Amino acid sequence: MSQPTNAAGQPQNDPKLPPREYTHPGLPEPENKDYAVIGKSKPKIDAREKVTGQARYTADLKFPNMLYGKILTSPYAHARILSIDTSEAEKLPGVKAVITHKDVPTLKYGISPARWDENIFCSETVKFVGDKVAAVACIDEETCYKALKAIKVDYEVLPAVLDPLHAMDEDAPQIHPEYPRNNNTEIHQDFGDVDAAFKQADYVRTDFFVGNRTYQAPLEPHTATSIWQDGKLTVYSSTQSPHYFQYYIAREFGLPMGDVRVIKTYVGGGFGGKLEPTGLEFAGAALSKITGRPVKMFYDRAEMFAHNRGRHRQYMKLTTGVDKEGMILGVHADFIMDGGAYTSLGIASAYYAGAMLTLTYEFDNYRFDMHRVYTNLPACGAQRGHGAPQPRYAFEAHLDNIAKDLGIDPIEIRLKNARRPNTVTPNDYVVNSCEMVACLEKARDVSGWRDKKGHLPPGRGIGIATGSFVSGAGYPIYRTDLPQASAMIKVGEDGTAATLYTGATDIGQGSDTILCQMAAEAMGYTYEQMKIVAADTETTPHDFGAYASRQTLMSGAAVKQAGEEVKTQLLETAGQMLDFPPEQLEVRLGKIFAKDNPDTILTTFEDVARTFFVRKGPLTGRGSYAPPKLGGKFKGAPVGTSPAYSFAAQVSEVEIDQETGEVAVLDVWDVHDCGQVINPALLHAQVHGALYMGMGEAIWEEVRFDKNGKIANPTLGEYRLPTALDMPRVHSSLVPSYEPAGPWGVKEVGEGATLPTMGCFRNAIFDAMGVSVNSLPLTPEKVWSALREKRKADGEEVWDPMTCECYLED
Amino acid sequence: MYLPDFDYYAPESLAEATALLVELGPAAKPLAGGTDILVKMKNGLASPSALVSLKNLTELRDIRWEPGRGLVIGALATHNQIRDSEVVQQHFLSISQAAHQLANNQIRNRGTIGGNLVNAIPSADLPPILIALGASVTMVGPDGARTVPLESFFTGPSCCVIEPEGEILTEIVIPEQDTTGSTYIKFGLRKSGALAVVGVATAVTMDGDVIRKARICLGAVYKVPVLAEEAAKVIEGKTWSDELLEQAGRTAVGCCLPISDIRGSDEYRRDLVRVFTRRALKRAITQGHV
Repeated sequence: MSQPTNAAGQPQNDPKLPPREYTHPGLPEPENKDYAVIGKSKPKIDAREKVTGQARYTADLKFPNMLYGKILTSPYAHARILSIDTSEAEKLPGVKAVITHKDVPTLKYGISPARWDENIFCSETVKFVGDKVAAVACIDEETCYKALKAIKVDYEVLPAVLDPLHAMDEDAPQIHPEYPRNNNTEIHQDFGDVDAAFKQADYVRTDFFVGNRTYQAPLEPHTATSIWQDGKLTVYSSTQSPHYFQYYIAREFGLPMGDVRVIKTYVGGGFGGKLEPTGLEFAGAALSKITGRPVKMFYDRAEMFAHNRGRHRQYMKLTTGVDKEGMILGVHADFIMDGGAYTSLGIASAYYAGAMLTLTYEFDNYRFDMHRVYTNLPACGAQRGHGAPQPRYAFEAHLDNIAKDLGIDPIEIRLKNARRPNTVTPNDYVVNSCEMVACLEKARDVSGWRDKKGHLPPGRGIGIATGSFVSGAGYPIYRTDLPQASAMIKVGEDGTAATLYTGATDIGQGSDTILCQMAAEAMGYTYEQMKIVAADTETTPHDFGAYASRQTLMSGAAVKQAGEEVKTQLLETAGQMLDFPPEQLEVRLGKIFAKDNPDTILTTFEDVARTFFVRKGPLTGRGSYAPPKLGGKFKGAPVGTSPAYSFAAQVSEVEIDQETGEVAVLDVWDVHDCGQVINPALLHAQVHGALYMGMGEAIWEEVRFDKNGKIANPTLGEYRLPTALDMPRVHSSLVPSYEPAGPWGVKEVGEGATLPTMGCFRNAIFDAMGVSVNSLPLTPEKVWSALREKRKADGEEVWDPMTCECYLED
Repeated sequence: MYLPDFDYYAPESLAEATALLVELGPAAKPLAGGTDILVKMKNGLASPSALVSLKNLTELRDIRWEPGRGLVIGALATHNQIRDSEVVQQHFLSISQAAHQLANNQIRNRGTIGGNLVNAIPSADLPPILIALGASVTMVGPDGARTVPLESFFTGPSCCVIEPEGEILTEIVIPEQDTTGSTYIKFGLRKSGALAVVGVATAVTMDGDVIRKARICLGAVYKVPVLAEEAAKVIEGKTWSDELLEQAGRTAVGCCLPISDIRGSDEYRRDLVRVFTRRALKRAITQGHV
């Protein structure tokens, strides 16, 4: 087995692919003839189990003597805990344990090591409505609720910080004593000379935008079942990363990592919200240790919203200087983020917010200022696209304003500034493959932009925006020299099946499927004979999990190496059996033949694998992947680094009801540069899903609070995710692309397609009505209000509905 | 989110059901589709000691046309049953369409028209079109049956005239009438599973281009569904035009007192009342019962 290697350093013999057209998932697409298994829409490996209801999610698991646990949370946004009396709860029949901060480790945890600021349970103050105070374990769920009600907590209510724009005021209440002025994270980055660029510019414009608090709202609620037996802890969890859970749980309880086993079950979606510990694992572990019984804990829908870790609300000021041709000379991004009560993944979110703005357009001078502030609201974290989608919306809207002021077509200004391949951003990201120009041109052509722009009937508009995202973060979340990914393959003794062991984490996106395709391709085997064991810290090799769109490239690189190691050994044995030089043999889809005579099958994978087993024991392959050292030397330089970046352009066409402000999205065209495609159906499904989420955030979704900081809409009835009926026609297509840093040339797609969506809707509305809505979501009421303001400004009569004669009594 | 303990009864007849409700007192509640009461119970907003299921009262599921009386809809008819009913579609397609706009498909499969009315939320989708069409409701209690016009059925948010001790809503009657068109327009914030921000129903009797009679009922903009009588007066006896209907829309705004809440401000709702009153009138005038 070779040392962990950098896939970027491997020779790449794969030819650049010919252009191919993709349409919708499920429709046949042109066969990729260069490969036997990848590039094909293989059915998902777990599809049957999921659609027949046989797949068991964490909440479906039952163990003998299992207890049910629930967490008591704070009803106040900010309050001092004066006393907690658990005696009545403990007396209730069926209650097996009641725990508070006195019964658990007091070590602070979090996910970003620079700011570990959470405790399993609050001891002095509660910091948001939903902060964790105590937990119970009972013989059934019903008893849990009775026990929670019986716990008496005396609070002294404190003034709360609910407005992030005033969180840093001198007289604002302090949330964490360690962070004066509620200043959680402050970033000041300066590249090139922005002031000089603005002086040199023919035109400088400043715009303000506001993003919205949104929530991932995965279908499956967070669940963890903890079993603490004989000093060892096993946790079944709906997690995006068994590794980080294992690491943080072991750290919290002072256990060696080897004594903590985290097993991912089937997971019903995460989108960033299930990457960090949820508190259920900690409370469940403590309860299991005390009771000696398995403890199942879960959040209900409202508790999920309170736990949150969704999108930050961002206040974004952008200033850009351009020359008279529209070339961007310099950009200043000045942002404030509402972080909520804890750090979560927010430091990375804050860096991502500004850092990713340099990707899709080339400019040398860039300044980024950011304050992430604490508020007494649920903590925000990483949501699909991490900190980047809102700033991308803001920048794409800002750029359209500039284009309009200069009289340049929105696509032209983007083409002029579009990033080229083999370039470096001002903040030192190395970009290899980049088909930004091709994406823009194709989006223009497939959407009929030239025929539509300026020629649509009143109320109709067309808009464009771009996006780019990492294919895996260059560095793990905590400092370690572990490789990013590793994999093992074990071929069965008779060669009729092979099992891939990987720590990669399938949360619904399909990584189990595409990694099995990659393993089969690398081994010369068939997908249908592959099995997979994944995301169990005891049986599978290390991988950091599902976040930062990393698994296709990073886990895939490890799987490719493992598969190639199997193939090398197999062909050596085949050579011995056939008395043929192994380097002249090839294996494809389980058939072994001479490279110069592919039509004559000499023997099979199965026969050779069986012989290998008889002679030498198990036929296995191993692989691992570590990226090269990436990024610059300035503070925060590692955030946003990646071996490869995807690029995308989206065009949307909307129709606006000019009286009600209702926005009907008619069509969306997504054109992606995501490198070589492993499974076209899953790729397009990712585009549809990302677009769905981006669309939800753009028009419908917003977590709202009452004046006391309590969530006003913690239900799927009032937190309005779009429904199937709200979806536009989606046209997902690709441009030919090959990424030298990825196995078989792959890049990410899962998060990147969320990035352009909000901006392209805003720009389409701007095109349709000439009004700009500068805060998300772009609700009908906001559009209605903007349209009325515009009519008033244009001197039109606007009837005032507040002044008419009233015939009713209140 | 846990259903608390309660006693459960499933009487076999209406008489048995009312007797049970009298015996058990106001802490007992009837259970029809359960899409409101069970959710309230799970959320701790209601804690009835007993639920009296009406599921065996199959005669209350019936939808029929009775000459001389009109369209009779049993209180236990589900929203999807009403949507799909040929009798409803034949006489008042607008009621079928309104039922289709309610909540989402899962709710429409379970929820009943009786439950929708008795639950009495101001944004309910069925009351506006039923009131516009002059519907009445019949309730049966220990002292016999009584019938009231639906427009006087609601007394406030979640309040109606039904007696909590033993009275059960049994049927809704939309009388035979000479209206030539009716419709319900719902403005929700997504295409399925959204409560109405504003709902406007209209019913008109046309004589050529002259509006003989009009009824306009507004939902989600007052504590109860409200008839915009002053707006109807503006157009009755006149030849319709877009300007006239706009005038009716503006007058209708005076017939509502919306609140500002998570789904919209009062100002926005008022302007929507203007827009949708005009559009709903035009649709009923030009397209019939749709």
